[in-house]
Amino acid sequence: MADSPEKRGRLGRIWNWIWTPAVAFSSGFLILAGFLAGILFWGGFHWTLELTNTEEFCTSCHTMEVNLGEYRETIHYNNHSGVRAICSDCHVPHEWNHKIKAKIMAVKDVYHELAGTISTPEKYEAHRLSMASAVWKKMKASDSRECRNCHNFDYMDFTIQETRAASEHQRAIDNNMTCIDCHQGIAHSLPSDYLEEYQKVTDELAVETSGTQSHQVADGSEEIRSFLNKSAD
Amino acid sequence: MLELLGTIGANIISLPGILGLALGMMTRRLWLGGLMGAVVGVLETVIFAHWNFGNVAMVELLIAVVIGLCAGTLGSVIRIKGTTV
Repeated sequence: MADSPEKRGRLGRIWNWIWTPAVAFSSGFLILAGFLAGILFWGGFHWTLELTNTEEFCTSCHTMEVNLGEYRETIHYNNHSGVRAICSDCHVPHEWNHKIKAKIMAVKDVYHELAGTISTPEKYEAHRLSMASAVWKKMKASDSRECRNCHNFDYMDFTIQETRAASEHQRAIDNNMTCIDCHQGIAHSLPSDYLEEYQKVTDELAVETSGTQSHQVADGSEEIRSFLNKSAD
Repeated sequence: MLELLGTIGANIISLPGILGLALGMMTRRLWLGGLMGAVVGVLETVIFAHWNFGNVAMVELLIAVVIGLCAGTLGSVIRIKGTTV
């Protein structure tokens, strides 16, 4: 007999054990044990996932030193209110499905850390435009979803904003624009030719979604960025 | 490619994968298990698009439905193989 218990290998016996009805345990015991094991597994999984959202984890790689330094000069790191947005607040979605997708896609960062793609300042600068472009594309496509975890046009009181900021935000609402259309360099230095690249990103996305091209790039995003950085000082 | 893998992985450990499997385990009919999983895939995509069909990306919807279908069918197979009733 080919499948007699004596002739089965270790894997075969485990397979057989898995599919044989339990006779030593009651249904209640199995349900309760499965429930508790599920809580432990899910709690551990979620806790580990949250650990990968900390600033210490994100900046533990050598290649993150450049953008960490840039970020520390911005209003999102240091400001009068004491509220800080760390890496994951801008780069990791809150909603489960989008979060897991981002985490799986972040495997490429580990690969590039090991491959040394941006291991020197020169290499970093050479890739700055393409890295920024990838993030802008994601943010534009998601209507700046991660920005909107904290910022929302509906919660803004334009009367206590600077006149120029209030006017630009009103223009953004009127023209159905999104945060990243103006605030491209909000946390990291901008590469040269960034406006042309951003226009290319918006054009590509417009073609992908509706087959039309749109022109939603702020005229003075460099000014906005320097204004916000001055506020951080 | 990475985008595709990310979407597939996210759906496997999200509603289509987990709830689809659980619903599939409630029936011995493979088609019904698959159907329930596929419905979960549609619902999940619409929920994450905040009930706005304009925000639904067809590729994401397709992947969610396929993952739900597979998970539901697998659930039914587990039910057939793993139970005596």
